[in-house]
Amino acid sequence: MNFNFSRRTTVWLAAIIVMVNGFFPAVWILLTSLKTETELIRSPITYLPEAATLENYMTAFTAQPIGRFLLNSVVVAGLSTALCVLISALAAYALTRLRMPHRNLIMSLLLAISMFPLISLMVPLFKVMRELGLLNTYLALILPYAVLSLPVCTLVMASFFQDIPPDLEAAAMVDGCSRVGALFKVVVPLAAPGVFTAGILAFVNAWDEFLLALTMMNRVNMRTLSVGITLYQGEFAFPWPLISAALIIALVPICIIIAVFQERVVGGLTAGGVKG
Amino acid sequence: MSDAAVPKQKDMSEPMLGALLLLPAVLLLLLVVVYPIGTLFWTSLHSVDNANPQAGEQWVGIANYLRAFDDDRFWHATLQTVIYIVVTVPGALVVGLGLALLANQPFRIQWPVRLSLLLPWALPLVFAGLIFRWFFEYQTGIVNDLLARIGVEPLGWLSDPTLATIAICIAIIWKASSFMALMLLAGLQTIPKSLYEAAEVDGASKWQQFVEITLPMLRPSIFVALIFRTITAIQTFDIPYAMTGGGPGDATETLAMYIHKSTLDFLDFGYGSALAALMFLFSMVATSGYLRYTRRSSGRGAEE
Repeated sequence: MNFNFSRRTTVWLAAIIVMVNGFFPAVWILLTSLKTETELIRSPITYLPEAATLENYMTAFTAQPIGRFLLNSVVVAGLSTALCVLISALAAYALTRLRMPHRNLIMSLLLAISMFPLISLMVPLFKVMRELGLLNTYLALILPYAVLSLPVCTLVMASFFQDIPPDLEAAAMVDGCSRVGALFKVVVPLAAPGVFTAGILAFVNAWDEFLLALTMMNRVNMRTLSVGITLYQGEFAFPWPLISAALIIALVPICIIIAVFQERVVGGLTAGGVKG
Repeated sequence: MSDAAVPKQKDMSEPMLGALLLLPAVLLLLLVVVYPIGTLFWTSLHSVDNANPQAGEQWVGIANYLRAFDDDRFWHATLQTVIYIVVTVPGALVVGLGLALLANQPFRIQWPVRLSLLLPWALPLVFAGLIFRWFFEYQTGIVNDLLARIGVEPLGWLSDPTLATIAICIAIIWKASSFMALMLLAGLQTIPKSLYEAAEVDGASKWQQFVEITLPMLRPSIFVALIFRTITAIQTFDIPYAMTGGGPGDATETLAMYIHKSTLDFLDFGYGSALAALMFLFSMVATSGYLRYTRRSSGRGAEE
């Protein structure tokens, strides 16, 4: 009896530690976003807001075009995800289900090239995009973001493609499907969870990226969320309630995605890492 | 493996089709990676003469690289980057392993714990940087408030070089450890329960079980997680950018931040490219380690 009690306590304690670690920062900015500037500078600091206000949220929308930032992020992350998933599906299929010479070498080469450090890429990519006149266009971010997630998407989809029985594909081809037709009619639907998982990972990667977004887009209206958020601060002043409100607004979409698709995300992360 | 079951197609050979399917990826990589890398090395051998800017970029050979070796700010930024790597790679591993062990409990409801590991992973780095800057604020931050409660004078976390480095490391470790924990948790869940039961019967203590079973079984996951973390740590940018902007002075500036400043603020493309090329060499070392490991393990997978 006593043993059972302490066992349950340990489990609870473990859960609480992990959850405080993960959620505390978000909870703290949520509380901050409800405070006024005057309450903020009081000493000692208050933990719970005394007179909770939603004013910071209104200001967040008027002080910077955060709606536009959101739209930019959705467009860039959405289109780069679509491009990345399509391209890596084809590559993963070729590398797992076709007899190709030097399969492993090609795979390694693809991964090595796409793992090129972003910061080294930033300098020349900026020049290339400037020459092509693509600075401050969505394409300047969509193309590199598609590459950014190419390795993880290829790995995740390769691991799913491998599990599909080749007989199904053969049957489709006997029924008159072309090889590529079989890929889209048989393999992709069966590997849908893998395709979907890869898509979520690509989306989150693109949504979170900062360095290229900072470099390629210098017009306020083209900023994505991750960069747009930093525009709420003055050179010396940090209006924390306002910044917190903007952060909370920016966090909502990503929270919905990970809450709804959490098992997929975890599966994808570990397939790309552990199996990779 | 699929060879036997697939009927022989007459219209196109498999290697041909494979090459065709790989083409989009190859084209994209050529445009976004290979061509820019080419121009990176080319640009790094050029410079604009400040006395005669009209002449455009002039060939200067390896002058930009030689300049880097004499540049104190470059060495400082490199050292600072190395500090972040040396502190946060093992730091995130230890914290991540701790979180994974804590999360690997028979919870009746799994999702809150899983979500609390996913949230820091999904949070953009720059958001994490901003939030931790807020934690470490001198007058209104919660860290100094908690310290005051145990009688410690408020510390100027973001205005002292050493303290700022510590604060940045804490933020990076918090952000990176959740990804570690997710990977290690997946590794933990593949360890057969029977191993622990057998050890229990043999009278092994919890600590012995951890050292003799858990750690060895987790080795592949730990290795992959460490390589990933190292590759990311080499490129540290967002969190110091958001927390200190590289300050005080240039004290917490990383190599990535210095490259960014050289190129976009000082518009010194030649020098920025030389620094970026050096950075490329550093990270190639880490990447090749990762690839050697994956090739070895995929070879092993094929044997099974």
